[in-house]
Amino acid sequence: MKKNPAEQRNIFLTLYSILLLAYPRQFRREYGPQMTLLLLDCQRKTCNGPALIRLWLRTLVDVISTVPVEHLQNMREENGFMNKLRTDLMAIGGCLLLIIGAVLLLSYGRSHQVSAILVFGFALDAIAFTGIVGNLIVFLLAKFTSIRPLRVALWTFLIVSVLALLASTVIIGRLDSNVVIGYAASFVFWYGLHWLWSQIRLHQGSSAA
Amino acid sequence: MKTATRKPEDFLPLTPAMFHILLALADKERHGYHIMREVEERTSGNVKLGPGTLYGSVKRMIADGLIEELDERPAPDLDDERRRYYRLTDLGFRVAGAEAQRLEQLVRSARAKKLLPRTKTG
Repeated sequence: MKKNPAEQRNIFLTLYSILLLAYPRQFRREYGPQMTLLLLDCQRKTCNGPALIRLWLRTLVDVISTVPVEHLQNMREENGFMNKLRTDLMAIGGCLLLIIGAVLLLSYGRSHQVSAILVFGFALDAIAFTGIVGNLIVFLLAKFTSIRPLRVALWTFLIVSVLALLASTVIIGRLDSNVVIGYAASFVFWYGLHWLWSQIRLHQGSSAA
Repeated sequence: MKTATRKPEDFLPLTPAMFHILLALADKERHGYHIMREVEERTSGNVKLGPGTLYGSVKRMIADGLIEELDERPAPDLDDERRRYYRLTDLGFRVAGAEAQRLEQLVRSARAKKLLPRTKTG
């Protein structure tokens, strides 16, 4: 069934709103409504189907070509691209070390039946798992929504930890106290890190002002 | 401020999009869609600025102090009050002039090398 122009406009505007998510948050907040308004104006002046398709192809090319430029600009404006890259590499390195450390300690604990190390190994396992999954979710939500990152971190790590705990309980068939302690420790660890990071940023913001 | 000490030549060469926006704002203040239409009409449809290109350039030009956003908003009965109007700053005016001179020099060189037909005089 052929859609009427108003319906087509709504579909295109919804699609454009989704495409806008690819831009850096600050840019989107500042210019997103203006860009949508501009596109709406263009659509109003476009009367026939082929012209509308041309307009949308042009807009798509525009999005594809300007998104990387804005992200690069944004990175330069924030901390400097190299600083950010170094921080990211350090974070990835830290995560890898955590995973390797967890695996080594857990295998040592299992072979020597050392319960304290076993608990520590569970905690490191949980930290590595919730760290990778939770931080990815926090990163995406903080980037694409306007919810406070600390609030996002609190709920994300809580939900990820509880779900992982439930999953391991189902797999093992019972609630293992070591696993519970592990996930509780990992929640405290990751939320603590995010809280610390927010305090540092707050401090930096107030000193800059 | 960083821009206060910069000379117009420091901004050259401008990107084509930036120069077109400066030209569009040279005679009067305009909002995004007006800028886009002006560029399209002036270039007979050869240059079409997309929303990302236009507002990405606008953002950088505001940061460089070449253009500024007007505080006033249009009356709701006359136009959409969400629209933002932009105008050239003094620096923007001088930068546009410097870029035009640079391009004029290039065209003169091209003409001297017989890449362009000579202009008729008299």
